[in-house]
Amino acid sequence: MPQPTKTESGVPPWGVFPSAASSFLRDLPILLAGLAIFYGLLTFARYGVGPVNTQAEINLHPGALPKYAFFSVARIALAYILSLGFTLVYGYVAAYNAKAERIMVPLLDILQSIPVLSFLPPVMLAMIGLFPHSQLGAELGAIVLIMTGQVWNMTFSFYSSLKNIPREMHEAAEIYRLKWWQRLWQMELPYAAIGLIWNSIMSVAGAWFFLMACEMFVLGDRDLRLPGLGSYLQTAANAGDTRSIIWGLGTMVAIIVMIDQLIWRPTIAWAEKFKFEQVELAEPARSPILDLLRRSKLISAAARVTTKPAREALNLYFAKAGAKQSQHARSGMLSGWIWRVLMLVALVAIAYAVLGMGRMLVALSGAEIREILRGAGATFLRVEVTLVLAGLWTIPVGVYVGMRPNLSALVQPLAQIAASVPATALFPVVLLMLIRVGGGMGIGAMVLLLLGTQWYILFNVIAGSSAIPTDLKEVCGLFRLGKVERWKKLILPAIFPYLITGFITASGGAWNASIVAEYFHFQGKTMSTVGLGAVISRATDTGNFHVLLAATIVMAVMVVTLNRLIWRRLYGLASTKFKLET
Amino acid sequence: MNPPGADKVSEMLSQGHWDQAVALLQQLDPAAAADAIMDLPFEEQRVLFRVMPVDFAALLIGHFPYYHSYVLLHTRSLESLRAIIGKMGPDQRAQFLDQLPGEAWKRVMDEISGEYSPANQGVDAAAADAAGAISHPIPAVEPILEAVQVEKSFRQPDGRLIQVIAPTDLSIEPDTITALLGPSGSGKSTLLRMLTGLIQPTKGLVLWHGKPLQDCAPNLAIVFQSFALFPWLTVLDNVETPLLARGMEHFERHHRALRALHTVGLEGFESAYPKELSGGMKQRVGIARALALEPEILFMDEPFSALDVLTAENLRGEVMELWLGKKIPTKSIFIVTHNIEEAALLADRILVLGRNPGRIRADFRIPLKQPRDRNSAEFLVYVDYIYKLMTQPDLDPALPSSAAHAVKTPYPMLPHARPGGIAGLLELLIDRGGKDDLFRVADELLLDVNDLLPITEAATLLGFARTEKGDVEITEKGREFSNADISTRKDLFREAALAHASLLQQIKTGLSSKSDGAMPLEFFRDILDEHFSEDETERQIQTALTWGRYGEIFSYDSATDRLSLHRLEHTGESEHDLQHQE
Repeated sequence: MPQPTKTESGVPPWGVFPSAASSFLRDLPILLAGLAIFYGLLTFARYGVGPVNTQAEINLHPGALPKYAFFSVARIALAYILSLGFTLVYGYVAAYNAKAERIMVPLLDILQSIPVLSFLPPVMLAMIGLFPHSQLGAELGAIVLIMTGQVWNMTFSFYSSLKNIPREMHEAAEIYRLKWWQRLWQMELPYAAIGLIWNSIMSVAGAWFFLMACEMFVLGDRDLRLPGLGSYLQTAANAGDTRSIIWGLGTMVAIIVMIDQLIWRPTIAWAEKFKFEQVELAEPARSPILDLLRRSKLISAAARVTTKPAREALNLYFAKAGAKQSQHARSGMLSGWIWRVLMLVALVAIAYAVLGMGRMLVALSGAEIREILRGAGATFLRVEVTLVLAGLWTIPVGVYVGMRPNLSALVQPLAQIAASVPATALFPVVLLMLIRVGGGMGIGAMVLLLLGTQWYILFNVIAGSSAIPTDLKEVCGLFRLGKVERWKKLILPAIFPYLITGFITASGGAWNASIVAEYFHFQGKTMSTVGLGAVISRATDTGNFHVLLAATIVMAVMVVTLNRLIWRRLYGLASTKFKLET
Repeated sequence: MNPPGADKVSEMLSQGHWDQAVALLQQLDPAAAADAIMDLPFEEQRVLFRVMPVDFAALLIGHFPYYHSYVLLHTRSLESLRAIIGKMGPDQRAQFLDQLPGEAWKRVMDEISGEYSPANQGVDAAAADAAGAISHPIPAVEPILEAVQVEKSFRQPDGRLIQVIAPTDLSIEPDTITALLGPSGSGKSTLLRMLTGLIQPTKGLVLWHGKPLQDCAPNLAIVFQSFALFPWLTVLDNVETPLLARGMEHFERHHRALRALHTVGLEGFESAYPKELSGGMKQRVGIARALALEPEILFMDEPFSALDVLTAENLRGEVMELWLGKKIPTKSIFIVTHNIEEAALLADRILVLGRNPGRIRADFRIPLKQPRDRNSAEFLVYVDYIYKLMTQPDLDPALPSSAAHAVKTPYPMLPHARPGGIAGLLELLIDRGGKDDLFRVADELLLDVNDLLPITEAATLLGFARTEKGDVEITEKGREFSNADISTRKDLFREAALAHASLLQQIKTGLSSKSDGAMPLEFFRDILDEHFSEDETERQIQTALTWGRYGEIFSYDSATDRLSLHRLEHTGESEHDLQHQE
């Protein structure tokens, strides 16, 4: 990115330009980016309304990659926008309607534990049914599918942010009679912004992880593929084309790094102002891109004539429109008979769904039930062993790095890039190597799970160990505690809360990832191992819906139970006994 | 409700017949006459007292509360003050003088013996003259806001109702600063939130200019303890927020916000963010935000308690300057505080709240001129009186008899003081000759009354000290405790706690009745839940644990949540105890 750098004479090279020219030069990249986005949207729209072509021939030539990459990015972006809309509505209702909250929050918990691929058949069939004659159906299906992988944690974050707004701030909003519009923009969204941004980053990373599965799959007798980076990689893996795999992988990493630099970093730096803290940080996050945007005359001029007057007009409109309607009327709106009718409809729908599910489950044969249970046991063991393995290497390494600020400044960005590479994309490479040394799919699945989940633990351990107060470290030195004692008395208890956070995220991710890890199309063959994920994938492939349903329920129940029984308790312990208070 | 004769007296005064009023009063029983006088506006009382004959004044003066007698006496000339005191009945005189705190007593003694230099009296004489100049009584004023029998109960999780505010009448009059004073947990905040319409009373009505509050759009504002500013908005935007909510156009909004900022001395900080400001500056923004609305009543909820002493003092002074100089359009200020001196400095009228359930225990005026000198004898008389009120729950001058039947015998509460604090208080008392005024102790220890009261209550409960009329005095037991070594102290503390603290007795009896001497803490939590709110229960439990552990009455294991009579061997428990001793 062009940024004024100092020359040897100490004068910025652009300083000699007249200011108009320099500001034009500075705005040029922004202008070009705007045009590029417009052109891209046009292409996508033309393709979207085109005739049905769900069997697109995927061209393995590297020259086709930019187009595929663009389609994938557009899909993820649209899915993200959908997720954001869903998050705002769902989170808002759940946080402010006590009756709805009782249903919506547990429901969210269950939805979150359902693996992405289990949504595939219903979502796809529904969307293709809706738009049978255009590409839109399959595309929408893929987009909604990606959305099911990213939306839940965002919704949770928004909901809990809303619930955590300090009481006096709420009271100020009420006593000064802020209408819902002003509340949303001046209080609720800013308060939730930081959590929402970090969860968005995680969600989009998740979308890359499941991209291959979402862009190319077999559904019963139908073989669907949509042009994109995911399907490119999948096709390359099927063909065993190592060169294409590496091209695709390289493109994906490049795009992920670019998105991180061009979108997430500036967003994080911009969100600094939403930090709810009383004092100013010594070292706030910075981003050169954000500086560029902020300094741009073009953008500030555009804002002066568009967003600022629009914001003012909207604010005044809602302030005057809602002048008569009081806060109590608003919260009471849903509580009347409308609510009862809604409840009734929901109850009937639930009853119908339960009945339907029951009928489907009755059709299960004994062998299928045995297979599901065996798979559940195997996946459970695989996930737990993976977590232990990940912990074994990440804890010592993370503590070593975290205790040395210089080293962690060096390692953190590298590790972040490594972590941003979706493990699924690496999978073909890993399998190739494993087959060469004679390992099977059983080991391959573990490697994939490990690749996908170890980072959560590593980053948390680094954060935890770098937060150990210096005086505690000095006390250990003073009392001449041995290595073992030091780990037992200081390090492990101090990083415990971070470790648990890391393990919780990793565990959830591992269960979800087991679906792509245990069943894989590679070099024209289907490779699989025993596991619940494999059962779900195979059921999707063969259109065996009752097995899919049963296996999904088993997985959701296991994940929810594990969370309730183990992780939530450990988390409670972490936030009470092992909390480092200042 | 009015004492007999009061109506007639005020009728005569309204026609200017002072002599007739005095004549009428002389026909009444002295106590009834004093009651009738107390019912009048203070300015009328002063004039009436000045015009009555010395003999009659001497007859009446013993029937007023001592602080009131003191102020009334000083409305007369030095000579007649001597004469009145000289003609008082000997018992009454002794009682009156005995009640006066040190400074006031000394001044009265000097005045009687003629050593009091009239030079110091200039201010008082001027004030007395001013009072005499009022020939027409002030007409009775319409309150801006009136609470009629408001009460608040909260439902416990198990469905039981806990009353936090007993039925209360209260009015806020124009041109008055009203202070609501009370210990923590007395429901000050709840009462303020009912008056402002933030929460609905369980029963009763709040009237705004005679109309129910929820039917009007009352022009009121609150200054919050935590400031409740939006950290992501600039100072100017924060102040504009409530104006925008009323749909005010950009130009006027801007203008009014700037004017409010100018009033509080914040010009130049318009574009700063709150986190760049110090606490005092932040609260100025909070005040500007409230003033921009030009509220009829400005509510302040502990506005200075999050600030350090000097900043608070400074800001308090500036607010008073604005108020006295009529530089703010506000008609009335209602301030909630737990700081006795703050209330006595600012308020024209003080409401003292008692707790469990919250109710108004005293409602009186402070007729001292502004600005007040916090070292003057008059001022200290009031401060001492308020301490007296707050330390002696049984001294209930304003408790209406009707409220008595609503209050069931409350469960005895443990005052939330740590043994270390009690020992500290006793040591200070020994240093000061065994006895001192509470407000002086608070001053010496740099403690808020909120922190000091639980300590004196605890010392009194344990029999280590006596509080009487705003003084605290160490007892023989207290001396013994204070002079003992650590282990004897623990023995004495255990004896005293088991003899006087019913919760600890209950726990001890409960534990002894079990064969293993152990019980879950949950059991006692359930008992307390029936009497206290959830928060208060938790505080009671915490205090009981601290006392029980210090006195080695029982031990507690937080991992199992169990209390036990047996000492734990070599665990973290003993370290814990040491911490609590400090």
